[in-house]
Amino acid sequence: MADFFWNVRSPLDRALVAGPYGAQGDAGVTLTEVRNFDLVQVMARRGKADETAKAAQARFGVAAPETPKAVAAADATLIWSGPDQFLVLSKGGRYTVESLAPIFAGSASLSDQSHARALISVSGNKARAMLAKLSSIDLHPDVFTVGAGAATSMDHTSITLWRGGDRNGEAVFNLLVFATFAESLWHTMLDSAAEYGVTVSHSEDLA
Amino acid sequence: MTSQPNRLPTNGLIDRSTALSFRFDGKNFLGFKGDTLASALVANGVKLVGRSFKYHRPRGILTAGSEEPNALVELRSGARREPNTKATTAELYEGLEAASQNRWPSLNFDVMSVNQLFAPIFVAGFYYKTFMWPAKFWEAIYEPAIRRAAGLGRAAGVSDPDHYDKAWAHCDVVIAGSGPSGLAAALAAARCGARVILCEEDFALGGRLLADGGTIDGLPAAEWVTRAVAELEAMPDVRIMTRTTLFGVYDGGTYGAIERVNDHLPAPPEHQVRQRLWRIVAKRCVVAAGAIERPIVFAGNDTPGVMMASAMRSYINRYAATPARRIALFTNNEDGWRTAETAIAAGLQVAAVIDARPDVSPAHRSLASKGGFPVLHGSVSSVDGGKNGVRKISVALTGGARAEVEADGLAVSGGWNPAVGLTSYHRGRPKWRDDIAAFVPDGAPPGMVAAGAANGAFGLGACLREGFEAGAAAARDAGRSGSTGSMPVADDEAFSITPLWHVAGKGKAFVDQQHDVTASDVELAQREGFQSVEHLKRYTTLGMATDQGKTSNVAGLAIMAAVSGKSIPETGTTICRPPYVPVAIGAFAGHHRDENFHATRLTPSHHWATEQGAVFVDTGLWKRAQWYPRAGEKDWLESVTREVKAVRSGVGFCDVSTLGKIDVHGPDAGAFLDRVYINAFSSLAVGKARYGLMLREDGIVYDDGTTSRLAEDHYFLTTTTAKAGLVMQHLEFCRQVLFPELDVHLTSVSDQWAQFSIAGPSARKLLQQIVDESEDLSNEGFPFMGAREVKLRGGLKARLFRISFSGELAFEISVPARYGEAMARNLMIAGEPFGVTPYGTEALGVMRIEKGHVAGPELNGTTTAGDLGLGKMMSTKKDFIGRVMAGREALVAPNRQVVVGIKPIDKARRLRSGAHIIPKGETPGPDNDQGYVTSVCFSPVLDQWIGLGLVERGRERIGEIVRAHDPLRGEDYDVELCNPVFYDPDGGRQRG
Repeated sequence: MADFFWNVRSPLDRALVAGPYGAQGDAGVTLTEVRNFDLVQVMARRGKADETAKAAQARFGVAAPETPKAVAAADATLIWSGPDQFLVLSKGGRYTVESLAPIFAGSASLSDQSHARALISVSGNKARAMLAKLSSIDLHPDVFTVGAGAATSMDHTSITLWRGGDRNGEAVFNLLVFATFAESLWHTMLDSAAEYGVTVSHSEDLA
Repeated sequence: MTSQPNRLPTNGLIDRSTALSFRFDGKNFLGFKGDTLASALVANGVKLVGRSFKYHRPRGILTAGSEEPNALVELRSGARREPNTKATTAELYEGLEAASQNRWPSLNFDVMSVNQLFAPIFVAGFYYKTFMWPAKFWEAIYEPAIRRAAGLGRAAGVSDPDHYDKAWAHCDVVIAGSGPSGLAAALAAARCGARVILCEEDFALGGRLLADGGTIDGLPAAEWVTRAVAELEAMPDVRIMTRTTLFGVYDGGTYGAIERVNDHLPAPPEHQVRQRLWRIVAKRCVVAAGAIERPIVFAGNDTPGVMMASAMRSYINRYAATPARRIALFTNNEDGWRTAETAIAAGLQVAAVIDARPDVSPAHRSLASKGGFPVLHGSVSSVDGGKNGVRKISVALTGGARAEVEADGLAVSGGWNPAVGLTSYHRGRPKWRDDIAAFVPDGAPPGMVAAGAANGAFGLGACLREGFEAGAAAARDAGRSGSTGSMPVADDEAFSITPLWHVAGKGKAFVDQQHDVTASDVELAQREGFQSVEHLKRYTTLGMATDQGKTSNVAGLAIMAAVSGKSIPETGTTICRPPYVPVAIGAFAGHHRDENFHATRLTPSHHWATEQGAVFVDTGLWKRAQWYPRAGEKDWLESVTREVKAVRSGVGFCDVSTLGKIDVHGPDAGAFLDRVYINAFSSLAVGKARYGLMLREDGIVYDDGTTSRLAEDHYFLTTTTAKAGLVMQHLEFCRQVLFPELDVHLTSVSDQWAQFSIAGPSARKLLQQIVDESEDLSNEGFPFMGAREVKLRGGLKARLFRISFSGELAFEISVPARYGEAMARNLMIAGEPFGVTPYGTEALGVMRIEKGHVAGPELNGTTTAGDLGLGKMMSTKKDFIGRVMAGREALVAPNRQVVVGIKPIDKARRLRSGAHIIPKGETPGPDNDQGYVTSVCFSPVLDQWIGLGLVERGRERIGEIVRAHDPLRGEDYDVELCNPVFYDPDGGRQRG
């Protein structure tokens, strides 16, 4: 009997070419795909919003977001995705749909989205200029502060966008895009960033 | 290469250290950095720059801005050739190439200028009156001929090699224009702490200050501009955008702007865009777009060398280029005199000032006596000159006498029109002000205010005051409370005007120079009943050209007012619509062209399929493998037929991940599905799948698909590929609005799962290779319509469904999407002993037609469940969406067109979808039309073309021979109506 290998392949595996792209010189934009993550949608059942919130608080040590934002816990990020629902994003294997099931048993429905999205992080001193070509959201530092989030669209494609913690004094914007749209949006992002110079990379780790 | 004979030796805002060579109509010239093409042509003494639209009259440069009607050129060459570019706004760059338009064989000798001889017949409405008959000649003969003779530049005719993009910007206050009002507004708003965007059309900041100078806060204007810009640039939340025109205003405080990022270079640098379209979201907008000087209409007013007085100052002061040596000035207002002052200061001769007003100020009288030129009270009645420019000017003096003035340039000032475009785009109608004889903004969109000259305040002091106050107010309204600091101050010049629109005289007097509309055309329109300004515009084409009548609209309606005996405000203005300046379609398209026209979706096995040489088809946004050609196959049909045969005799697989997939969670999930499907789902056992059909509220079929119950409170619902998004929306609407009492959640998992159909008699054997040995896939252990989680060899878990679209023993297997490509590879390995064959959407379609399954062509938004032969699925034990309306008389009528199988009597004949079904012996036509062929394929099983159709009473007519009438393809042939299930009608194969 033949051996079967179950290799995972990110939806950006083929499109992403690590290294410099576009204009030469100091890159204004850094695009990083994060590949190894678990993502679970948590939806409070009818009348169980408080119970769900308590369960989240107990497990993650932070309050789940009730407005469009992302809340960083020690080992997960809770991202608002609608009224009484949020996404739990964690390093691959940390919070799987199986491991979350007992936590929210009876209070919330869970849907595994770990393979349904690609996760791209955008930083660099031209990140805002580049994102302004794709997003109608006002990303001014005073308006879209750390932890701000939006369920919005880029290039006619639904995305979840939030601002992560600053890295090396620079803002970091994270976005989750549906996996089957990822390659298409990736090309649009490269096209939008090319004039600023891009550093492309991928990472297994959720920062 | 010629020198620049008309360049002044000093002054001007040009960089004399950077000479630029350029070509106009094949001739080489030199200009300087800081020139426009127009100013460089002026410096080189070029007066003739184009031929007019209709009469091919010689034309020169009239203005120095984006209102230019005449000096339009083809800029650049080859794929970058850009027709109708205004020489007055085109920045000069090294190597610029431009050509004049609408002339043949040359600008100097233009054959079509013969049109002028026929001018009496080329009046307004000429085309409508002349080319009426025969009607069919219009498209074939008249229109092409007219288009060749009349017109503007030639498009490049090939794909634009440059990139364009679009971007969003957000601010508290957006300001249009960087003249004194705009800069003052920006200073006030920015000092208050507001986020400010300042848009300037020009490449230099300062507006009219660049040409007219002045003193602000005791400083020369240029110095004040430098300081103001430095102050603004030092503030982090101020963005100054030059080469950017704010062209439109849209709902919710969204503004459109076009940034000509690299139009001032021969080609954009690598990775850069040519132009960028901005959508600016602003809480407030200050329109400081200034005013446009207007011409006076008189005979010969289009002669090269006749120029707006303010434009002449721009060329002399800003560009140090002299449009003429001996200048006459024709004005009806105080401001025009500045041109005389400028000319004298530049050492040029002033031949005369012709002032239409009864009085001239003592200061100007003394200027005239010092300058040694006469002041003539009266009007210019005609101009003597031609393609080489103005020679002599005839003046009708007040009182009736005549005078002649020799000059090679005539500056004209008929007053100023505030730029009311932006403020009028939401149907605001400008209002007339008698004191300045001009329309000023009224009814601006919410959040927008005009300031300075754009608001009818023509003095420098007033511009600064209005701009500053508007900027401060806008910042306050946006919630900013900082201090504005001190307001810049300057003196106010007096402005007096005696309106004068049209001087009667012999010869053509042009109102709209770009569209060759004369004063007599306006008078003719009035005589023929086109009095309304909107009719006047459409009948004469006044104001309809690329300049949108910026120099002509007000004069046109003033003449209409005069001939119809009404006042100007009674006559009214035409509706203003964006864009304020022409915007390239490429900028609106941005990134969305060619392969990026829309976003695309790729299946999890896409790159594997690419390796296999699949041919892809666009289905909605998806790229789907259509078939997998093999070496030696001559066409798609051969490949598809092979794939079908391989599945029916062995095993094949197909990526069906494009189906919509929805997790339905919650204790009420079953009850919810009972309401949205016509059949029951609450009764479905865990571990089972069921085919479901959902209706629209009106009783027509909406979508179908299989839904499986994975747990008591968890269903997995699938939709068709085409309706995936719509069904999700529909279900969310049902959940949130119709049935909020149900405890149910919906989550799209379309992208979470890679799903493959594995079909054929060997499907089970293939799967047994890949699933863990503990899994029982026997007919008893995993019967038809089973659904459960299975363990795969190597540890991965998958979902397995025993469902069949092909009519064969078939399964669908789902794995998390990142394993999709591995699944395709492993299916190839596992299936190798059984001759596994990947198949595409064509083979999928063939097998579903052979099996009589309905799909998109039958679920076409007009069919009922009964029409599809699925009426029995409609539960009578429960309510569901569409139940009541599906019972309407017409939807249950016995003569409805229903799904039936169709096969040609001649087995060699190809059946075509779209062919109409006509009873034998009847004449084709609407009365005898009984339906049509919806889906066709070549059936490898039957070895002939077969199809499905919607045919009146079709199920009762099995075996009847009818005609397939196909007028589109000119075909008419006999077909037999038959059972739509062509293959394995008792379903033994899929249950085996």
